[in-house]
This record gives sequence, structure tokens and C-alpha cells, in this order.
Amino acid sequence: MSILVNPLATVDQLSQSGSQLDGVPADLENSIRFAGARLTQAAGILLRLPQDIIAQAIVIFTRFFVGPEGGSLKEYGAKVRNPVALVSIIEAHTTQDISAGSLYLMAKLSSTPRSPRSVLNVYAYLDSFPSTFVDASEFDEEKDPESYYLTEGTYHAQRTLLLRTEALILRVLGFQTHVALPYTLCINYLQTLDVFSHPESQDLAKRAFAQLNTLLLSPQLVYLTHQPYALATASIYLAARELGVKLPDEEWWEVFDTDREELGFLVVAMRSMEGFAAEEKRKWGKRKVPLTVEEIEGELERRSLLNGRG
Amino acid sequence: MKTRWADDEDDAAAEAQRKREKEEKKRAKAEKARKLEEAEKLRQQEAQAAATASNGAGNGTHHLSERPAKRRRVSSEGERESSQAQPAQPRKLLRFAAPEWGPCRHVDNFERLNHIEEGSYGLVSRARETATGEIVALKKLKMDTATDGFPVTALREIQTLKASRHRHIVDLREVVVGDTLNDVFLVMGFLEHDLKTLQEDMAEPFLPSEIKTLLLQLSSAVEYLHDNWILHRDLKTSNILMNNRGEIKIADFGMARYFGDPPPPNMTQLVVTLWYRAPELLLGADKYDRAIDMWSLGCIFGELLNKEPLLQGKNEVDELSKIFELCGIPTEETWPGFKRLPNARSLRLPPSKQNIGSVIRAKFPFLTTTGSQLLSSLLSLNPALRPTASEVLAHPYFREDPRPKSTAMFPTFPSKAGQEKRRRHASPDAPMRGDAPRMPGELDFSGIFAGRENEESGAGFQLKLI
Repeated sequence: MSILVNPLATVDQLSQSGSQLDGVPADLENSIRFAGARLTQAAGILLRLPQDIIAQAIVIFTRFFVGPEGGSLKEYGAKVRNPVALVSIIEAHTTQDISAGSLYLMAKLSSTPRSPRSVLNVYAYLDSFPSTFVDASEFDEEKDPESYYLTEGTYHAQRTLLLRTEALILRVLGFQTHVALPYTLCINYLQTLDVFSHPESQDLAKRAFAQLNTLLLSPQLVYLTHQPYALATASIYLAARELGVKLPDEEWWEVFDTDREELGFLVVAMRSMEGFAAEEKRKWGKRKVPLTVEEIEGELERRSLLNGRG
Repeated sequence: MKTRWADDEDDAAAEAQRKREKEEKKRAKAEKARKLEEAEKLRQQEAQAAATASNGAGNGTHHLSERPAKRRRVSSEGERESSQAQPAQPRKLLRFAAPEWGPCRHVDNFERLNHIEEGSYGLVSRARETATGEIVALKKLKMDTATDGFPVTALREIQTLKASRHRHIVDLREVVVGDTLNDVFLVMGFLEHDLKTLQEDMAEPFLPSEIKTLLLQLSSAVEYLHDNWILHRDLKTSNILMNNRGEIKIADFGMARYFGDPPPPNMTQLVVTLWYRAPELLLGADKYDRAIDMWSLGCIFGELLNKEPLLQGKNEVDELSKIFELCGIPTEETWPGFKRLPNARSLRLPPSKQNIGSVIRAKFPFLTTTGSQLLSSLLSLNPALRPTASEVLAHPYFREDPRPKSTAMFPTFPSKAGQEKRRRHASPDAPMRGDAPRMPGELDFSGIFAGRENEESGAGFQLKLI
């Protein structure tokens, strides 16, 4: 396998997830996955990890939940579908644990490892906010340290859980921890397109990177369905469109192995992100997106009650 | 005046027209044949793909490379036909076969036959896959006292092995797990021998022609690893497996990791088994690169020639003095900057300028001039002077007589791994994490060349079978 190529999800894995098998509706699954990926990104920033490690962790997190044999949002706490992984895993894992586990695992494999204590402290801090969609200004407000203090006992319990979660992720993914990212390819392609002489080239590169970062949170799971070269190409195409930077008239994306159809799909996916994120924020308001098994069950109950009344 | 036979314009035009038509027909025919051929090829490919798909149903990683990419091959021929000037030929875009992932299978799918060896990183047994009857090597990863979860060395071993698909690198077929979270096994292809055990049981060393073949195979694997930004960091004869067809494969990636240019920070110097460890590591360099693997390769070359390890130091200090004895003492000219390495400060080197050169030439009297050039360059104290793996492959040593022996002509040997339990070898293991790399106190190397004058240098000559 080349360093530049990613393993991709199979049709089987995309058409059915463990969560759906367990009766978690697709829209709730999307919400939880979006919240989980955002949580991973936020925790990564607070842990001062490089963005490529954070991105890898988000991809691992996303891979974990696809496919009938992947983790189920609702039941991986009590049991995991895969009979191999099932053995001896009885603790309740939460989406948050999987997020922390992915981040811990990918940091460990990088040249910037983080200790379990740092990781757990950061997640405890993020967990102390009352809503999922926190306004950036809220992070600047003084917070009562008590609200996110991890007692020694809790720390030890959570540490054990973190390490078990790590092993669980590895098993469910068959130890496939290779994640290729589009960032460096993106710079390389921009150089090839010779846009760095352009006065707006810096903005273009930044915009393209921003698109790639946003795409990590996409409900279309494009990092699981498309190779990095296609992602990089599409991000440049859209960024250039948005900033009015002129690129060659020819079908230049074919030089980067991307055909028009892929390009179109990815551009649409990127452009839909803004609406998707706004809708998620509107939908959940000040509430928390359910991330633990109990919370998810509570949410399902709430929904069925609402439906019953309607 | 025009004659009937004059070549006028009309004639020429008609002639050209005829010619064009003829050519057109020819081209159409060729085109048709080509299309037919392509269709046939596609059909074959599909059949093949279907066959592999049905073979590999529900199975882990090792079929990945053959996975058909057709699902993602979307061509948009329609749009391109608008330009009439050039013939509408769909441009072929590069497509990569994408591997997949799935949960680990259980180790119960394998039946353990016998232990092969216990290394510092795990226990290896020979096993049979119950469903297929195939013989594999099953390596149980050591989790021991890991306090930070899954050991990073094991993760790297899996990561680098998964990324390495090469004829002379052991192939990791899948990772299987047992009942507890600590039971993780690597399933790898089984090979009958390792070079170390094999050499110990051989009455005579490998022939020069055989050594060349072994070195070529080894260098091609190292070239592949280095091209893919992987350092092996524990090359030694016991990590080189060999089958009964003269083919070798590098194994045990327990020390391997990805590197970069510039090298990543905080790489440990505690890598590579002592006898194969490069001098810059012994001197405590915190930045190192591919050259450390090339040093190990040099040690292996010497070991194949001598049928015993080349530099058998008892500890770091002894190893370093053995190296200096063989390769000479470094100077600021031969190795600029070596004195600034952390452990070099405590070195006391012999003051005189005489007798400090390499004795590799004299130590290997049967080696040709080019051969000893290659060995000396691999064992350059200055890492920058060691050749790359690609340079080794292109070395004239491999083109002079005796030529590398075809692997098919290699002798076969009874396999210890296949039949009986192996004894533990009295050779040092790869360093464990946590040992402190240091050189105690003052190190006095001034005496190591004291006796050199009294040594006999070179015999008359000997005949040797090649």
C-alpha cells in the first residue's frame, strides 16, 4: 500500500451501520457522529496536537462506526456486534470514549504522543460545558475548576477505560491505523498549478485547507470513500472558485487523477457543510447531543413519546 | 502539352483519395481488433476479480492488493467527444487499489503446531489455518508491563509490516486476537529457516556466489523499506528468514518505524542489537537515518563471509572498541563532527597517527578488491560515507565472477523451525525500552592497537571453492 492511499469503506460498510441495526435513526447517527468528530477536533486543539494527527484521529473515529461489524452507537456499550471484540468488553463505552481513544492512539503513533492524563483532563473539561454547540466566546469565560476536576479515583477508572477503548478500536478496525491525508498533496498540487505567484495564493491555500478540515466532519464520510488526491483536488477547485482565483481552462483535475464526476460530488459535499452545520446547531440549540448509551436511549425514548403524541 | 500519362493534379488528388480510403479502412480494422482485444482483456480481468473475490470472502487484509478497482472507475467519455479535432480517446486516470478494513478474526482459526522461537518481542509458533490447511507463522505480541496501553512498538510493527509488500519482506497476512484484550497475534508466512540458525548448522560458510544472491535480496528489501520511509532498526541474521528455495525475507519489525527528512525528533538510540549497531548510535547520536541499517547490512555481509558474527562486543564499550579495531579510529577528517557526539567526549583515542586505518582488507583475504571495497564502504564509521541500498545493488561486486547464484540452485537444509523446538541462542537481543544509553566513565581505547605489529599479516595463498 502506498503511503498516499487510504483504505476505503466497502459498499457493505456504507450501506449499513451497527448503530442502524440497533435502531438508531440515520439523522441521530449523523448528529452524534458530527458531535463526536467536533469533540475530537476540539480536544486535539486543546492538547496542542498538530492538525494532521487530529485529522487522523477523526478518520479513525469515523471508521470505527461504519459497517455492520463496526461499533454501534447504541450498543457498543453493552456489547459489540463482532463476537471477537465482544469478549471481555463489558464496560460502557461512550462516543466520547471512542473519540478520546482515537486521539490517544493516533498521538501515540506520531512524534507528539500525549499522556492518558492529559487526554482525560481535556475531555473532562470539554464535557463540563452544558451544550454541544458552544459559542467560541464561552471558551474565554472563567470556569470553575471544580466543574472539570478529575479526582484521582475517577482518573484511574477512566484511564483503564481509555486503554481498553484503544484496544477495542484496534480490534474493530483490524489494526488498520493507516490514514493518508490530503494536506501535503494539496500544497503540492497548488505548486504544480503554479498559483503561488498569485497575490491571493496564501488565502487560496488557507481556504483549501479549511475545506479539507470541514470535510472531516461531513455526514457523507468522504474521507472513507475518496482518496486524498481527490479530496485535495476538490478543495483547490472550490477554494479557487470562492476566491475568484483563475485556474487553467483545461480539465486540470484530471492531471491529479480526479474525474469530473468525483470532483462534482466532493464540491457538493463541501458546499453542503455550512447548511448541515447550521441545521445541526439549530436542531440541538442549547441541548447536548447524546453521546453515552443512556443519553442515546433517553433521546430515543423522547422521540417515541413525541411521535406518540403527534 | 499534356500526355495521357502525365501526373496532373486530378490524378494526384484521386490517388491520394484512394490511399486515404485504404488507410482509413486499415485503421478501422486495427481499431476493431484492438477493441475486441480490450473487451477480452476486461472480461478476463473481471473473471479474475470475481474469482479472487469469492476466494477471499470475509477475510482480512491479505487480498487487498488484488481488489478490483472497477467500482470507482467512472469515466465520462461523453463530454470529451465534443472536441472533434482530436479523436475521442478517453483519458485514463490513475486508480489505486484501495485496501479495506474489518474486525480481527479469532486465533482459534489456527491450530498451533510447535514453538519456533521466543524473541524479545514475542513468541513465534508454527501453526496451521484450520480452514485452508495452510502453514503459517503465528507471533504472539508481548504486552508485558505496558502501562500506556497497546505498546507503541507493536503498533509500529503492524503498521510498517502492513505497509510493506515486497518479495523479500515477510508478509503479514492478518492480525488475529484471542479471548482477552492482551492476546494479539500476527499471522505471517512461514519460512523454514533463519539465517543465523542455518549458518550455525552449516559446516562451511555460504559460497561467494550464494552470499551475493543473499546480499542482493537483502539490499532490495532494504531499498524498498527506505524508499517507503521505513527504518528497520534491527537487521541481523536471526531476523532474516530463508525458505528452501534460497529466498530470504526480512522479518521482525519490532523496532521499525517511519522516519522523515529531516529525521523526527526524539528517536531513541536504543535500537539495533548490539553486534549490529552503528557507531553513531553507540556514540549517542540523537539524529540518525538510513545509514544505521546500512551498517547492519555490512555486519551481516561480514558474518556471511566468516560464518560467525563480525563484531561480538560484550557491552557498548567493548562493541565500540571492536569496531575501532576493525575499521580504524575516526578522525575529524574521516568523520567530521564525531567528537561532538554525546558519548565521544569520554573517548580517549590513541595519539599516534600510525596504524589507525581499517584492517577489513586483511581480515577478509578471500574477498576480491571490489568485494572488500563494498564491505569497507558499508562499514564506514562516518554514516554519510555509507552507500545507500540502491548503490549497493548497483555495486560492481555483483557483476564480477563468481556471479550471484540463482536461488533455484541453492542447497536445501533440514528445517529446525519446521520440526523441532529451537534452542535459545547465546546472542544478545534487541535493546529493551528503558535501558539507559550511556558510556560509563573514561573509556581508554589507546591500547587496542598495541599488538598489531606483532600480528601476522596475510598468509601465502589458499584455494577456495567458489
